[in-house]
Amino acid sequence: MSTPPIVAEGLVRHFGSGDKVVKAVDGVDLTVNNGEIFGFLGPNGAGKSTTVRVLTTLLKPTAGRATVAGYDVATQADMVRRSIGVALQDAAIDPLMTGRELLALQSVLYGLPKARATSRGDELLERVGLIAAADRRVGTYSGGMRRRLDLALSLVHEPSVLFLDEPTTGLDPMSRLTLWEEVRRLNREGTTVLLTTQYLEEADQLADRVAIIDHGHIVRQGVPRDLKAAVGAPTLLIDVAETQASAAREVLVRFGDLRPTSEGTLGVGLREGASAVAAVIRALDDATIHVRHLELNEPSLDDVFAEATGHRLEGAEAPKQ
Amino acid sequence: MPAAFVPSMVMPVFQLIAFSGAFGAAVKFAGIKNAMDWYVPLNAVQGASFGAMGVSFGLINDMQTGFFDRLLMAPTKRWSLVVGPMAGALVRAALPIVLVFVVGFIGGMNVPGGPMAFVTIVIAAIGIALVAAAFALGLTFRMRNMGAATLTQFAVFFTIFLSTSQVPLAAMSGWLHAVARMNPMTNVLRLARQGLLGDVTWSGTWGGLVALGGMLVASTWFALSGLKSLEK
Repeated sequence: MSTPPIVAEGLVRHFGSGDKVVKAVDGVDLTVNNGEIFGFLGPNGAGKSTTVRVLTTLLKPTAGRATVAGYDVATQADMVRRSIGVALQDAAIDPLMTGRELLALQSVLYGLPKARATSRGDELLERVGLIAAADRRVGTYSGGMRRRLDLALSLVHEPSVLFLDEPTTGLDPMSRLTLWEEVRRLNREGTTVLLTTQYLEEADQLADRVAIIDHGHIVRQGVPRDLKAAVGAPTLLIDVAETQASAAREVLVRFGDLRPTSEGTLGVGLREGASAVAAVIRALDDATIHVRHLELNEPSLDDVFAEATGHRLEGAEAPKQ
Repeated sequence: MPAAFVPSMVMPVFQLIAFSGAFGAAVKFAGIKNAMDWYVPLNAVQGASFGAMGVSFGLINDMQTGFFDRLLMAPTKRWSLVVGPMAGALVRAALPIVLVFVVGFIGGMNVPGGPMAFVTIVIAAIGIALVAAAFALGLTFRMRNMGAATLTQFAVFFTIFLSTSQVPLAAMSGWLHAVARMNPMTNVLRLARQGLLGDVTWSGTWGGLVALGGMLVASTWFALSGLKSLEK
């Protein structure tokens, strides 16, 4: 059996020392299997990007070990770099260069022969829909175009493993969908993808498996459907006046466990499922509690996150499409 | 970008004219016929070093935009990320050297050492440019902000001005004399000046070459170890 493309065992990355040490990654274990899209989900500062920077050889691990494409990230960094493509959070592209020039530069960095570099550049520009803008300076590109160019740059040397660090953050819905489609296409062609995101929907839509990270620890890992099923009951969210919140909590707790919610909202995991909603409303009415808003949600990755960490993923909702 | 080149080209020319005018009488007192003969090598060396330090600004920009991460993730030899910018620094250094020569000719500088006089000035200026660039890279890798460029300018400025940059060693006294005597820049300036003050000789050359070699090894090590520190 071949080695999985990405393996991390007890991966630790600290910054600073003594009393001021920051444990950005604190014992991460994960395995990404060949040909899968793996979603790495967590809020800002959870440790996603630091983990990616260790896996892509930009940072040395403080402890633990990791292999990418079968090579150790600490001792065989050069071989790791030859095997991976990386598009980091901020599309690191020179605004004064054109898309075609950047692809040529990237080809030089990866040692492609000139003739191959030219054909590969055209192929990738075509693939990401930038052939018409190829000779324009990147400074004139939209955010979505820059991300697509960044993706093309990461594919120049045909890597077997692709790291995408928050590839759609800040993009409009159309650009996000285009990028998602391209990621799916790459995956169908056999590329293993590790994708970090703070968007629940993105992880849900794209990833075969996800790991949820919070404060440097992986708190849940698995197939999204299974993780959501493990949370079980749907969540009923209600919005009541602050003066009635305490009384409402007493009513809700009779129907299931209270769940973490955003401020000003109460949530309960309904033991009896959606059929209990009518009974909850009657009970609230009997207690003369005025409900301003009510919402029933099937378990989501946000519920998985909330159940695992005790708090919701702030800003996790992707822009509405 | 012009903003990166123009100051490093204008400053040495401005200083050459200003120093020659202001301190011309002082160096003539030391037996030098034309102040240009004394200041052209100094300003070529200083202009080249300040031009070369511009690599720091480019590197800071690349680090802040994330472009340097792209270079770090490429399967290239790590030393090429130091040697590449140093080679770029040579281009930045060449322009002020040429400009200073032109102004020197216009100002009537003497060249008793013949063509070798220019060879030694160029060796000294290029050598110091490489040292300044490597030092700038080392500091920038460690500090990762604009402070690195400012500190590099201070360091190079003091190294140059605590040597025989303004007056000959014989005209100095006290601590300044002691510092200038120990300062490797004094040997580099001797190497650069010899062809404009007399003949180019081996005795006037080897000290400067040793000083340049030592500084280049130390500053390149500083740059390479700084690059390594980015991963820590």
